[in-house]
Amino acid sequence: MLRLSCAVAMALAALLLAVLAGTAIGESDLAPVVVAQVLANQLWQAGYPVDPIDAGIVWNYRLTRTLVAAACGAGLATCGVVLQALLRNPLAEPYLLGLSAGASTGAVLVGLLGFGSLALSMSAGAFLGALAAFALVLVLARTAGGGSGNAQVILAGIAGSQLFNALTALLITMSATAEQARGILFWLLGNLSGVRWPSVWLAVPVALSGLLVCLWHRRTLDAFTFGADSAASLGIPVRRTQLLLISCAALVTAVMVSIVGAIGFVGLVIPHALRLLLGPGHSRLLPASALGGALFLIAADILSRILIPGQVIPVGVVTALIGAPVFALILVSRRGRP
Amino acid sequence: MLPRFATLLAGLGLTGLAQAAATHYPLTIDNCGKPQTFVQAPQRAVTIGQASTEMFYALGLGDRLAGTSLWFNNVLPEYQAQNAKVPRLADNEPSFEAVVGKRPQLVTVQFEWMVGAQGAVATREQFDELNIPTYLLPSDCEGKDNLVGADGTRLQAFQVDSIYKSISQLAEIFDVQARGSALNAELKGRLDSARAQLAGKDLSTTSALFWFSSADLGIAPYVAGRQGVADFMLRTLGVRNVVTSSEEWPTVGWETLAKANPTWLIIARMDRRRYPADDYQKKLAFLHSDPVTRNMEAVQRNRIIILDADAMQAGIRLFSGVQTLSAAFASGNAGQ
Repeated sequence: MLRLSCAVAMALAALLLAVLAGTAIGESDLAPVVVAQVLANQLWQAGYPVDPIDAGIVWNYRLTRTLVAAACGAGLATCGVVLQALLRNPLAEPYLLGLSAGASTGAVLVGLLGFGSLALSMSAGAFLGALAAFALVLVLARTAGGGSGNAQVILAGIAGSQLFNALTALLITMSATAEQARGILFWLLGNLSGVRWPSVWLAVPVALSGLLVCLWHRRTLDAFTFGADSAASLGIPVRRTQLLLISCAALVTAVMVSIVGAIGFVGLVIPHALRLLLGPGHSRLLPASALGGALFLIAADILSRILIPGQVIPVGVVTALIGAPVFALILVSRRGRP
Repeated sequence: MLPRFATLLAGLGLTGLAQAAATHYPLTIDNCGKPQTFVQAPQRAVTIGQASTEMFYALGLGDRLAGTSLWFNNVLPEYQAQNAKVPRLADNEPSFEAVVGKRPQLVTVQFEWMVGAQGAVATREQFDELNIPTYLLPSDCEGKDNLVGADGTRLQAFQVDSIYKSISQLAEIFDVQARGSALNAELKGRLDSARAQLAGKDLSTTSALFWFSSADLGIAPYVAGRQGVADFMLRTLGVRNVVTSSEEWPTVGWETLAKANPTWLIIARMDRRRYPADDYQKKLAFLHSDPVTRNMEAVQRNRIIILDADAMQAGIRLFSGVQTLSAAFASGNAGQ
């Protein structure tokens, strides 16, 4: 019990430090004093005189994007753990089920058809598109797979992704006015710069509930690691649990995609890295992955803002750039161990 | 329409005929590193790119066009009559066969990524094989590497001379050199009058930011970097661009832009509706409501100029764009 509360305290401290770093470091040079004053003003009405632009940057830009980065990282890593366990496939990751492809179709559709005037934002379009793609993949997998059919789920996901990517390309080609620039779907590389407080109120609760649902089923997930048959022999209702957990992962991923686009690598690599470090038990793996994902994405976001002065790199590029070598290092250093 | 055409005719009548030389065929011109030979003035041409299409109309060459393509928005009102008679092959990029099917004797291209080493329509060699000369607007190939970066990378700043050059070369190809020099004189005159409007005004501390669009409202916007057409417009008028990137349209975060606090904001108006921020009214609403941008000096003092996106591209529309900007800078208010 003492060890548990100690671990929780350390995790929270690490998270708090990371959020502070994300708020203090950014595109422009704001003195740490100014950052502290803004936070004090907002949290305790301290009443320091600060420039309204600086105050807005710290409170409305930096703090919000750091909190959403944390929620997204945690959510995606949790989804990765769950999908890898359920499908028993090391390549399983949150976008496997066609979600990012569906999201881009939805977002492009909203833009092209001018639903914008009907108060349907691009984010809402992305969310609906992601869910539509997931529904299609699910139906396809169920129709194709007789039994538990892990391979069918994965193949259905690939088919769904291809279909929706093709739809997106078709929509863009058919749109009436041409592009003056080639920059297409920047949004899909993942982007945290549009995040404000409403996104925080959406992302944080969704990530936390997703984590709680999965933690509730941690023993089931442990059983699934040995295959659906052994799970069934332990008396677990296999299909129902699989459907519930996959849907939960899909819902969390769809929300994250609709807020920040498709940020790759977090959901694939963080679960593997922590499984290598902590072993496969889900009661530890799930919270550790959530924390690891949160810290990793906050760090990647900070880097994306400062690597090129005066310009922001898509955060998805950074996650792959630092994620790949770090993961390689873990793989090599754990060589030969179980 | 007719003011420009009138100037043009006046030019033709008074001085043009006397000065302009007739074209001697076969004519060989070097275009973007490839010599192109014309045995006669082309009777049927196809354009890929609105800027090149409108150059034809400005030269009064609409009757030589067998097809147009790659439209960003409506044709300028003064060219509607000419444009109505020309078939539109495609709104976007045309297929190679649609172009070739018109049996063109010239294909004029606005962007190298349409016809070039990685051309979306074709490579220049594919047209060579069919003995169809291609003419790329020099503004997109001179001092620009189109194999680097999403929109190509300008190795040196955009030169307005590249526009004059395309007009005089097209005029030479079609043996209408008098019209070419009259048009160039008119365009140069517009730049001069825009500069003259600001004569004696101290703009040393004046700065500006071009906001083209954003992939979603609130995220880091596409803004004009150094070296591109938009930056040329500011340089012409002696105003500093707050964006320092040498990319043509970099994305820069609002944090950086708000801290740079430009004197003027210039936002693009366009017909495209790919992204919510394509609509200039959504841009305005964002600027006035976002907790950071609403505190920017330009927003608070309403120094926001709405400018047609095409004026920020290498074509004849940039000259009226420069005039719009100079009028705003001179009067101190945005005008719209």
